[in-house]
Amino acid sequence: MRARRTIDLFARRDECPSARLEQSLPTRGHERASGPGERSPRPAAPQPQVARGNATPPAGRAARAAATELWLGLHLAGAAGRCAPQGLQRLAIRALRFTPRVSLVPPDGLLLEVHASLRLFGGVEGLQRALRRECADLAIAGSLAFAPTPLAALAAARGECAVVLQDAARLIGSLAPLPLRVLRWPQEVLDRLAAIGVRTIGQVLRLPRAGFAQRFGANRLADLDRLTGRAPDPRERFEAPVRFRCRRELPCESGSHGQLLAALAPLIEALGRFLEARQCGVLALECRLWHRRAEPTRCVLRLADPLADAVRLTELLGERLRMLTLPEPAHACELRAGEPVPRALCSSGLWQSGEHGGLPEARGSAFIERLRARLGPEAVQGLAVVPDHRPEAAWRVTEPGACAPSAIASGEFAAARPVWLLPVPRPLRQRGGLPRYRGALRLGSEPERIETGWWDGRDIERDYYEAVDVYGRRLWLFRERAAPHRWFLQGVFA
Amino acid sequence: MSADPPGCGAMPSDPPHGRAARLEDLLAHPLLWRAGHAARQPVWSSGFARLDEALPGGGWPRSGLIEVLPVRFGVGELKLLLPALAALTTRPEARWSAWVAPPLLPFTPALLAAGIDLSRLLIVRAQGKECLWALEQALGSGACDSGLAWARHALPRQIRRLHLAAQRGRTLGVLFRPRASAREASAAMLRLVVEPLERGVRVTLLKSRGGARGALDLTWGGTYPGARGCP
Repeated sequence: MRARRTIDLFARRDECPSARLEQSLPTRGHERASGPGERSPRPAAPQPQVARGNATPPAGRAARAAATELWLGLHLAGAAGRCAPQGLQRLAIRALRFTPRVSLVPPDGLLLEVHASLRLFGGVEGLQRALRRECADLAIAGSLAFAPTPLAALAAARGECAVVLQDAARLIGSLAPLPLRVLRWPQEVLDRLAAIGVRTIGQVLRLPRAGFAQRFGANRLADLDRLTGRAPDPRERFEAPVRFRCRRELPCESGSHGQLLAALAPLIEALGRFLEARQCGVLALECRLWHRRAEPTRCVLRLADPLADAVRLTELLGERLRMLTLPEPAHACELRAGEPVPRALCSSGLWQSGEHGGLPEARGSAFIERLRARLGPEAVQGLAVVPDHRPEAAWRVTEPGACAPSAIASGEFAAARPVWLLPVPRPLRQRGGLPRYRGALRLGSEPERIETGWWDGRDIERDYYEAVDVYGRRLWLFRERAAPHRWFLQGVFA
Repeated sequence: MSADPPGCGAMPSDPPHGRAARLEDLLAHPLLWRAGHAARQPVWSSGFARLDEALPGGGWPRSGLIEVLPVRFGVGELKLLLPALAALTTRPEARWSAWVAPPLLPFTPALLAAGIDLSRLLIVRAQGKECLWALEQALGSGACDSGLAWARHALPRQIRRLHLAAQRGRTLGVLFRPRASAREASAAMLRLVVEPLERGVRVTLLKSRGGARGALDLTWGGTYPGARGCP
């Protein structure tokens, strides 16, 4: 097999434009010696066989598809590449005006299929100019390349080889001098290829297919096939995020919350229809009220679950508006919704919640949202147990209902624990070494020792006592075992 | 004290007399309200047999507001409710148990030891007027089985609102207020004063719609945390 050097990556030699060069190379050793520059973009003679390559159907189909596509690859360079996601997405949104077929290649690549847009935007040059202007607007530096396949366009852009290649036949010839790193293969693969003297795309394309797949994986071969257009390369289309935003002038200036809510009602209704049509909900909603002189008042509503119900949105927004103090009457209002989030639709139950078989969650989240809208998001919480022997660390705050049911069996708490805990222990006055809390305390007999906690720096050494105060309340006290032996109140058994 | 509310308890044992049967038909008319009406409401068992006997209907009302007036915070008024709350939160169709403005932090290991399902517990932090508003939301929303609130001041009309909300949402509402507010009028179904005893509490029913008033002493069971280690 080694002897048959002519078994090529390409089934038919005439498909490979650089085949002519290769034929003149006597040995592999010579091949290694020749630098990439030597074999550079000599545009191979137009090869009509490519277009009518019916002998190999898959390649032929891909070639025909490639002939009707022209991809523009954009590689964001340097600093812009680092602050990528937002920059890339903003550029993609702007690029949507050139073509609907825009794909993101995170972290720093963008692909546009521009074949159908060339005439409108003044050909390749016009398009290039327009896109560079968009890049300059966003302060993004990038390099552009045109090629019939997406991967080739991207590779050329990454290699900063500003090729404009509309002819599929000349594709491989133009790509041949590009270094292999533009394909973004793992470094280990690149090192192994470099060890056998393969540093450019042209060189790797000349390796035997079967052996290449065996040694470097079928995925790499598939990459090469997509690069050259032998295999189709479908790309996911970028969809610009759609958000709801609507503004309305009030019939007259108003500062009363009822009138504002009435003015917002049609906007909320429109938002509800907008979300209903997309089967989405919103998690955040902003209402802006515009004043004649003062800065616009902003009122942000955050929701626990994706919500699309206009009635409930009105209710929640009403609670928020009621809490708002306006600097002066508003003359316009605007509603801006956050990103629509897919919402699971469920059929409503026959029974009401609480009845036999009713779903407990059905109205639970609505109630929590109403409380949160008025009292703030931190005001409604659940509690959970943390398996820790120190009282301060034995609990934590959770989302309502997030606590896994019976994470710890109730039998594990053999020792008595108070129902009420003081989050911060309160120091007690002493008389004759005994603690006092609004009078004398009667101490229980046997102390319970709770200590250690060196692993998180909150080390404790305490003897816990139960005590009864003058009012007959049972308290939970502790005495520090360290030097001052201070007494603290930490809980109330109620 | 008698557990039988006057007017309804003796009826079934009456002989099937024609005149009495006609009277019973008349009394069953929905527009007729009787003093023992509350006794027929569904209830939750309080978990204490003696207390169940004393309460109208045999337990805490399922929907409606009750007022608990401890002489001091922490004398055992919450312990009185824990068995019922444990039973409420561990039902398969349990709704929330909302605790509005608790004065201290409810200590989860103790609640778990009392048998409460923590995943049904909702702690609402509210101050001043917001406390009663939040309780009214909890009671009226229909999303809660029980709503507890610790409030210092409440006007009679606010308590009436809370009671109506609790009936609307089929929720047990519990309002903890200081002992001093026993003088004020209240629309709550039950009002009870809680005083500490050596190993239990004395519960005095100030108002009990459809039940008898009076005092009774309850002793905590031996397994109860806090019963141990006291001299």
